[in-house]
Amino acid sequence: MRAEESSRGTGDFDGERCLVTGGSRGLGRAIAVAFAAAGARVAITYSRDDADAEEARAAIAAVGTEALVFKGSVADSAHVDAVVRALAERWDGIDVLVNNAGITQVLPVALVDEADWDEVMAVNVKGAFLFAKAVLRVMIRARSGRILNIGNFASERMIEAPVHYAASKSALRGLTESLAREVGRYGITVNLLAPGLLDEGLARMLPEHRVKEYLEQCPAGRLGTVAELAGAALFLVSRGNSFMTGAKVAVDGGL
Amino acid sequence: MTPERLLHETTSLCGTCKNAVPAQVVESAEGEVWMQKSCLDHGPQQVRIAEDAGWYERTRLRLPDIAPPRRVATDLDHGCPFDCGPCAAHRQRARLPCVSITSACNLDCPICFIHNRNTDPYHMAEEDFARLLDQLLADEGGHLDVINITGGDPTMHPRMLALLERCRDAGIGRVSLCTNGIRLAADEDLVRRLAELDVRVALSFQSFDQATDRDMQGASLVDLKQRCLDLLEKHGVGTTLIPVMTAGLNDHEVGRIIRMGLERPNVRHIEIHTMSYTGQGGKDRPREGRTSMDAVLRRIEETTGGLLRPDHFVPSPCAHPLCYQIAYVLSDPDGGRPIPFLDFLTAEEMTAGLSGRLYLEPSPALERAVIDAIDRHWVEQREGSERTLHLLKELLGRMFPRRALSRAEALRVGETAAKAVYVHSHMDEETFDVERLIHCCDLSCTPDGRQIPICAHNVLYREREPLLAERAQPWPEHERAGGVRGLPVVAAS
Repeated sequence: MRAEESSRGTGDFDGERCLVTGGSRGLGRAIAVAFAAAGARVAITYSRDDADAEEARAAIAAVGTEALVFKGSVADSAHVDAVVRALAERWDGIDVLVNNAGITQVLPVALVDEADWDEVMAVNVKGAFLFAKAVLRVMIRARSGRILNIGNFASERMIEAPVHYAASKSALRGLTESLAREVGRYGITVNLLAPGLLDEGLARMLPEHRVKEYLEQCPAGRLGTVAELAGAALFLVSRGNSFMTGAKVAVDGGL
Repeated sequence: MTPERLLHETTSLCGTCKNAVPAQVVESAEGEVWMQKSCLDHGPQQVRIAEDAGWYERTRLRLPDIAPPRRVATDLDHGCPFDCGPCAAHRQRARLPCVSITSACNLDCPICFIHNRNTDPYHMAEEDFARLLDQLLADEGGHLDVINITGGDPTMHPRMLALLERCRDAGIGRVSLCTNGIRLAADEDLVRRLAELDVRVALSFQSFDQATDRDMQGASLVDLKQRCLDLLEKHGVGTTLIPVMTAGLNDHEVGRIIRMGLERPNVRHIEIHTMSYTGQGGKDRPREGRTSMDAVLRRIEETTGGLLRPDHFVPSPCAHPLCYQIAYVLSDPDGGRPIPFLDFLTAEEMTAGLSGRLYLEPSPALERAVIDAIDRHWVEQREGSERTLHLLKELLGRMFPRRALSRAEALRVGETAAKAVYVHSHMDEETFDVERLIHCCDLSCTPDGRQIPICAHNVLYREREPLLAERAQPWPEHERAGGVRGLPVVAAS
């Protein structure tokens, strides 16, 4: 299933103004492409790989939208403020924020240094906080908005995952619930999507036995695709999904 | 040599007629290990098989995993080692299947321990190779970790690349091409193609000295081998160095060869063989160069400045412990002294990490062993722990970067950082020991489905094979006497 196909039936995004952090590859790119295919205006951020960003721009263009692309770290408040200010001016508002940017390291606890912890927390948690806070000024003014944080099954299940990564994804759940409670009165929803193991990214490099273990526990008996996750993401931030907030939605094949 | 103590009994071969004869393995007054035997026709014979009886006994007690072949090809008739195919007595699967795709070789090495045929040479037909692959895959449940393509020199096969493509298409984990490197050094396009096929080259490499090289290979190839290694490195072809150790000739160079292997980024393994005195060249070599597994391990310690000691090696879990010894070394990307795995893993953890394979592969046991070792060093903070942890963390960072690598890419990174040094002690008719043979995982495989332990093939079978050897003669019926019909017992005396 292609990403643009997965977005069908998730609502009309015509004219919606959607920002996806970490949108240059993987799940972030799939979500951005799905937004574009559903008629949205799309902006993505990325931190490192210019070639990936250009590929994402081309993929979004291929479904009919000229994406706005920003380079910088989500943990850099100046970058975050600049992106949101630019979009608010260009689009006169922001309807959807997907906090997708995240990093991990494959390390046992003994090798996780303070700097590793700080870096993962900065990108995965502080970055989501900074972008959410920045867009909220726009969304509260509009009395409308949808924020989606991308978690991970590592925070939902007791599995072998790097402690700082699992902790950061758990923190996103707290951030989601607390923020949903605080801004619900402005018509803003905040939800969390917790993907299982996907056929791109981490699963590609995990040793086969680790993937096999996952599949043995997974009722669907297979890995997810980024297109499937993009479809779920679009549903969660669609106008039609107006009464769900503070929710954690696992899309993990039933793990 | 005066025998002091019987270590064990076994069955060997007469060094002349190659009939099977009872043999006693004894400790000498000097603490060495000798094999003594007597042939009714050719009299008493003895050969030193280890320098250190203590090492020999300790090592021999490390029993390998028993994993008999899924398919038995031959009935017990003449007894071991004359029923190879494998027979019902064999105790190990083909962990390292070797396929001689040609009888032709472009060298005539004085140390050659096999028989070749350059007159009207045999080149395995593609359909025969396909049949052989199908059989191997069926025997191994549909997946092969490794296959070793050999010859002669396999680069002499006019359709070698087509055969290698079949290996790639079959999804074999490691395809190894065992060569002297002459064709590769002269043909960069061929090296490039091997890189594209992810074929690994097992390059014979004897010496840095021209005269020694000529003595062992019949030609001075030192410069050629370096050019070959440069091309392999340039194109990122995974490489194994294979030196054959001869006492007093090149064994003082073993440390330098290991260091070169550790320094060249594309060299993944260094597999050191002991000289075996059989085949078209080896049988006529003077025996003063004979060396043993434990002697090579000590030369390694002496010539690497103690970087690798005998106790850094463990026996392979899928071969007889006197045949394969393995050490892994963690490289330092900043050029610091490499760290042997057994400086941070226990021998038991290392053996468990090998998980019944010849090479380290990602596995739950390896993952557990490494994490346990990390925790241990972190908690105990021994001397050197900080550097070990730093190098392991650095390696994990390269294997699992932010931009995910494929498994094959991650394995390549892992093997570039964690290199293996193997010592593989081949047998000849003089040192032959059926106790070792029945545990052999290094099997010569043919299109008719036969799988013959490599030392039995080199010593007994290949010279009888008209496709592979000049003037091959069928086995006269009066030979093949004395074979073992019961299972040899592996136990301390």
